[in-house]
Amino acid sequence: MLDIENLGKRFGEKVALDGVSFSVRPGEMFGFVGANGAGKTTTMRIIMGVLETDSGEVRHEGRPMTHEDRRAYGYMPEERGLYQKMKVGEQVEYFGRLHGLAPAAARRTTAELLERLGLVERRGDAVEALSLGNQQRVQLAVALVHDPTVLILDEPFSGLDPLAVDTLAEVLKDRAASGVPVIFSSHQLELVERLCDSVGIISAGRMVACGSVAELRAGEGRGLLKVVVRGAAPGWADGLPGEITVDGDRQVLLSTDGDDQAILRRAVQAGHVEHFGRQEPTLVEIFREAVA
Amino acid sequence: MNGLWLVAQREIRTRIRTKGFLISLAITAVLVAAFAYVPKLFSGTDTYAVGVVGTAPATVEQVEFVTYADEAAARQAVIDGDVDAALIDDQTVLADGELNDRLGLILQSAHRDAQIEKAGLTITPLRVVSVGADARYEGVRAGLAMLLVMVLFFLLIYSAMFVAMGVVEEKGSRIVEILLTSMRPWQLLGGKIVGLGVLGLINLGVVIAVGLGSAFVSGLAADLPPGMAGIVISAVVWFILGYAFFSTLAAAFGSLVSRQEELNGVLTPMTMLMTLTYLVSYFAAAQPTGTAAKVLSLIPPFSSMVMPVRTAAAEVPLGEIILAVALMIAAVAVVLLAGARIYQRAVLRTGARVKLGEVIR
Repeated sequence: MLDIENLGKRFGEKVALDGVSFSVRPGEMFGFVGANGAGKTTTMRIIMGVLETDSGEVRHEGRPMTHEDRRAYGYMPEERGLYQKMKVGEQVEYFGRLHGLAPAAARRTTAELLERLGLVERRGDAVEALSLGNQQRVQLAVALVHDPTVLILDEPFSGLDPLAVDTLAEVLKDRAASGVPVIFSSHQLELVERLCDSVGIISAGRMVACGSVAELRAGEGRGLLKVVVRGAAPGWADGLPGEITVDGDRQVLLSTDGDDQAILRRAVQAGHVEHFGRQEPTLVEIFREAVA
Repeated sequence: MNGLWLVAQREIRTRIRTKGFLISLAITAVLVAAFAYVPKLFSGTDTYAVGVVGTAPATVEQVEFVTYADEAAARQAVIDGDVDAALIDDQTVLADGELNDRLGLILQSAHRDAQIEKAGLTITPLRVVSVGADARYEGVRAGLAMLLVMVLFFLLIYSAMFVAMGVVEEKGSRIVEILLTSMRPWQLLGGKIVGLGVLGLINLGVVIAVGLGSAFVSGLAADLPPGMAGIVISAVVWFILGYAFFSTLAAAFGSLVSRQEELNGVLTPMTMLMTLTYLVSYFAAAQPTGTAAKVLSLIPPFSSMVMPVRTAAAEVPLGEIILAVALMIAAVAVVLLAGARIYQRAVLRTGARVKLGEVIR
């Protein structure tokens, strides 16, 4: 269990974080979204102790986080960092050792991860010889090698091809399924929507929305009612709330409120109802709404 | 401590396998080996060639006799420079112009000894006992000191630069963010300093081994002063102290910048201090018994090079050595504390160059 409580951070005059709070439960995948410069990276850097917070605190299992707790975390910073001239296998193993693995264990988990991430053939190559996508896989291996108790990943999907995105998504899902809280930031909202149990939206240093995707949708509360009627006479919807658009012989009514059953009855009388239902806002829409 | 050792191991392993390290080690070894032969080249030949006509005298030290058929042939050989002089019938010495003083003495005394022996007399040579400082090795010691100045300076600056470059590499690439979630800044800094220090010691060890080895091969070893072990130990100890001092400075200054291109600028105070140390120790090697050398060999960080050089060039009272070491250890402790503090505060602040004033408070 990871609790971020009321973090505040200023850089000179600029307020970077203003009372950011959220919690991530074991096994939960938490998507952290927000515009560039909203405070995602700052929050993650504070969680990892790379940056000191001005106020608030990070709690691990209900108590203030210590260096020893962090040592068991897996971290992928925003700007990727690897020893360019060091070999892939040696590098992953080295970070495993630094996180406290015994030599044999470090070798074993390195072999497993490279296998899983499709890097087996590159194990003896210097990192600088790898494509950026492959370097990113190595970076991920570095974050995962010590079987972390919590995963903090800053933009892990950026710059990956679709297949690599799938591999990474699978790996993260597996880790979450084994009870590890996973936090990752991303601008790929469809991906966040697909993968995450809960989402936090940060804007200008404040958490503007936070909760499960379902909660956020419900919180929006005003999923538009959409009715598509074919062959209805013009004016069938007069007096109903909402807007009518005409598309050939189809008429589409988008309504924000009103008695949906009454609207349905009217539509059935007017013509052939092709579609009737509430539109679920996508995360993109929720996001736009939240940061507006 | 485990983290520190892992970092040190990585530094050693990755650096020792690079071509650059091996090549520079090989070049140093060759240079040092060559140095062992330099005194021979400058002091000229050890033996004189002397032509002989008629009966040759018994073996004479440092003289090699070449027999000629007659005086004319011997005369020609002297003029051609094939021999340094020619001895005719144990009576006359032919020389090209003036006879070399030393050769003259050797020939005269050999001639005298032979005559005295013939007369049935034995003589006891004078015994020489020195009551002052042992001045016999002054020349060799000065040479050793000069060599030591160069070796220490290059090793110190080379190792300290590697520390600074390593710090910037980690800071610039942000690896340091991951590293510092798994260990404390002092472990990372300490590991880097220890690891690269071990490499520096390996370098120094090779220099000493090759230097002494080739001194034995070239015959220079016979001229080496007694107490070489002390000189070697002093060089190693002072290298460790000087390295600890300068590499910590290098790491602290290096942590202020994020790019290798900015490194030279930010390291200027350190390189200037090192160069100054080099210059004063060069001076001390030339005048090891002067007051300036005595004073500077006590003041850190100058002592890190002046003292070993002074030890090599002349006898230094033990009390002064102990005082100098104690002062240097104190200086290293101060630099380590301040340097670790600067490093810790600056190394995560990527981007523009961090001002020293911002992190020192």
